[in-house]
Parts: sequence; C-alpha cells; structure tokens
Amino acid sequence: MISQDALIKYIKEAMPDAEVTVKDRTGTMDHYQVQIISEAFEGKNLLDRQRFVYQALNDPMKDGRIHALEIKSQTPTEATSA
Amino acid sequence: MANAADDEIKKEVAEHKILIYGKGTKSMPMCGFTQETIVFFNKYGYDFEVVDVLRNAEKREALSQMTNWPTLPKVFIDGQFYGDTDILDEMERKGEVEPLLKKAFGDA
Repeated sequence: MISQDALIKYIKEAMPDAEVTVKDRTGTMDHYQVQIISEAFEGKNLLDRQRFVYQALNDPMKDGRIHALEIKSQTPTEATSA
Repeated sequence: MANAADDEIKKEVAEHKILIYGKGTKSMPMCGFTQETIVFFNKYGYDFEVVDVLRNAEKREALSQMTNWPTLPKVFIDGQFYGDTDILDEMERKGEVEPLLKKAFGDA
C-alpha cells in the first residue's frame, strides 16, 4: 500500500512540472490510475512515456507497495487539445 | 554478462512472432492482465505463445532489465518489445496493430 501523497511525491521528483491526478481503482491503495500532464512526455512515444513513469516509481513498484498501475500520460498541449 | 536467462529469452523471442511473458499459461492464466493480453491476441487469429514466468524470478529479472519495464505481462512482436495491453490498446485505437501483425506473419 502507498498513500496518494507519497505516489504524487515520487512522480513530482521525476517531473517537477507534472499535474497529477490519482484514482485508487480498488480502494486497497495499491491499484492506482494516475493521470500525468508534463512537458517531460514531449517527443516520447507511449512506450517511453510509460517507462519514464515506471522509473519514477521504481522503488514502490519493486517493493510491491504498488501492485498495478494504469498510466495516462499527456503533454500540456495534448491535455488542452484533448 | 549475458546469462542463461538472457540467452533463453533471446531464443524464445526469435522463435515466436508473438510472445507473451506472463503469469500462468495460455490455457490457465494466473493474472487478469495476462488473460487480457491473451484475449487481445485471440481477436486477431494469429498464432501466439505464452511463457509462464510466474515462478522464475531469475528470468523475470532478466526480462525487466532487458526491457527496462518492471511489470508483467511483457509482449514481443516480431522480436520487438511492445509493453502490455496499455500500449497495444492505444496502438489498436490508431489502427497500428493489424498492419504490424500482417508484416510479422509476412502476409502484408
């Protein structure tokens, strides 16, 4: 289990400009959906965006605090035009 | 240092046009995401292989290192790594999966 604040903190460490929305998908604090808007995704395809987020959350992923993660990654321009 | 797990993976990836490393087998998937991936490829009707690495920590670590991707399932198409259904669903939405599979099976 990991708290939403701790999750956001990890993400912000890798992407200080990120706008992060977190949803606990099962109420067990280890199946999260995260929506991240950040410049860091600019020019990255979906696979590399996901890799980048997984790297930011490497520790809680490795030690099992996060069991499953659904990632929605957008750049600011994509977010505004979506 | 390439170890046994790396060599085994490289061989398997080369042998199967579509290869899913996951938890459980094709007939008995042990995890929802692995099952989801099997359902995804069943739609296309091409042959695919599921390799169960649930209890093979060494191979799972080698796979994570090789792909820089921490989770299972891991999908390889035509020797290329494509992540999991999060990526494939998005590619499908943009119509990128069908041509990719056709090219892989040489009936483009």
